[in-house]
Amino acid sequence: MKPVDSNAPRPSPWLSVRRVFGFFFFLGRRTGRARVFFLLGLIPVALAVMVRILLAGRAAEAMSVFNDILMVFYLQFYVVILALFYGTSVLAEDIEGRTMAYLVTRPVSKPSVVVGKYAAYSALMAIMTEVSLTLSFFIMNSGRLGEASLYRVFFGYAGVLALAILAYTGLFTFLGSLLKRALLVGLVFGFGWENVIQYFPGSTQKFSVVHYLKSLLPRRPVTGRGTLSVLLFRLEPTATLPAILVLVLVGAVCVGLACWLFRTKEYLPEE
Amino acid sequence: MTSEIATRNLSKWYGNVLGLSDVSLEIEAGITGLLGPNGAGKSTFMKLVTGQMKPNIGTVSVRGAAVWNNTSLFSTIGFCPEADAFYEDVTGWEFLTGLLRLYGFPDREVRERAERALDIVDLAADKDRKIKGYSRGMRQRIKFAQAIAHDPEIIILDEPLSGLDPLGKRKLIKLVKDYRAEGKTILVSSHVLPEIEAMTSRIVLVHQGKILAQGDIHYIRDLIEAHPHMISVTCADPRAVAARFVADRSILKMSFGTDGRTLVVETHNRDAFFSRLQEAVLEAGVEVDEIRSPDDNLQAVFDYLVGK
Repeated sequence: MKPVDSNAPRPSPWLSVRRVFGFFFFLGRRTGRARVFFLLGLIPVALAVMVRILLAGRAAEAMSVFNDILMVFYLQFYVVILALFYGTSVLAEDIEGRTMAYLVTRPVSKPSVVVGKYAAYSALMAIMTEVSLTLSFFIMNSGRLGEASLYRVFFGYAGVLALAILAYTGLFTFLGSLLKRALLVGLVFGFGWENVIQYFPGSTQKFSVVHYLKSLLPRRPVTGRGTLSVLLFRLEPTATLPAILVLVLVGAVCVGLACWLFRTKEYLPEE
Repeated sequence: MTSEIATRNLSKWYGNVLGLSDVSLEIEAGITGLLGPNGAGKSTFMKLVTGQMKPNIGTVSVRGAAVWNNTSLFSTIGFCPEADAFYEDVTGWEFLTGLLRLYGFPDREVRERAERALDIVDLAADKDRKIKGYSRGMRQRIKFAQAIAHDPEIIILDEPLSGLDPLGKRKLIKLVKDYRAEGKTILVSSHVLPEIEAMTSRIVLVHQGKILAQGDIHYIRDLIEAHPHMISVTCADPRAVAARFVADRSILKMSFGTDGRTLVVETHNRDAFFSRLQEAVLEAGVEVDEIRSPDDNLQAVFDYLVGK
């Protein structure tokens, strides 16, 4: 018998995460789900084209529409639905699809599997979201492409969406590692709690992710202005740095908890 | 010889359901066959050995090291799961190379190993087809390929022959024997005795989560031979055939079906019965429509062995 050499070099966690990331970034691109979600991301682009035609020559209004409608679509629907499906599937798809055996019998640690898949799916979602944002934003603002301030606003929006993906996906990854019906719970959270709590006054709304995201929007909607600004009705924003910190913490802590759960808990497919 | 895989008092429950109970086993290099009916605990044992599950009681070690969460072991283990589960949207080539990259092989080596594994399982020509378009046999072969592509020392195969055509089965059996010749340790499960028998003479009988017997195939064969077999013969005049067997001492019991065309015989010596049956049918001058062995399966043998 050749004993196992306990001093044999183990791949660093970073290397393992990179390997898992590469595998699932590739796999993720090949699925039908990615194509459906990418097409869903074209809805705001189509809307932007229509609005641009309707508001021809009214650049300021176009920016308002973008802020009040398209960003609401991105933050309260598109990113949430993407993160919900991808986040909860980080572990569930391999458990329910019975492909987990291929992963946990390889020389990569279980936390590497979670972090690598989370990173791969977040990257995929970021591509879908940022492509859609770029197209819709510049179509809406095609008359102002020479203004430097426009690009500052754009990068602000892009950053908010990236943070939204990291936080929501982390949260749903954790839910997926904890619960069997994570998708259902995630739906209630993402489209129930996250929406309703914005109407609560004071600090209650700080118990939602969307509060911190909206606090970071470069052009924050003002109460009572715009037809759909009611959706952002009682926003009492958190300062930029704490908001970023909260979002990063939500993502990191949730992914950390998911790693711990996956390492200690035993996952069995339902017979 | 020391054991490559060792379990001590290994037990596993799924809630209130017993998966494996107090299994102590030492598996040495060479081929060991795990034989048992569906639900016997073979897959549970293999999942425990490959660290996919944590024992409730007992220990499992591979080459002296505990398995659960021990990633350094997994370069030496290749596992072919029973479940027909894949990442369906990728090709066979992408599936293999993707999994090989998880070992950290450089790209060139990944390609070489994938090509070699595909050649071994005769899938090189179909490597660029999506797995969801593969036949059952091809899926079984690509599953085997991913278990051997990294050249592991210990190969664990859960029902590897299921879904393969006879030629595919023969090839895979030969491959497994070749790996034994290379000094590897192979643990293979099946619920079909002749399949296991074709690969190895070292057999562990598993039933209801317990090791029922272990040893050489001849010992297992003797146990099985002692099992009384039921044989059903359908013909126009079963009583005329039965009359020829009344004096036969190997016959334990005979009965007739309500359809008036079936003779059900219970015998200790199946081979003797079949050779005598030919004569009896000729003597009776009847035409036989069907001969069946209603309990000619492993479950019946196991039930007999555990005294049901």
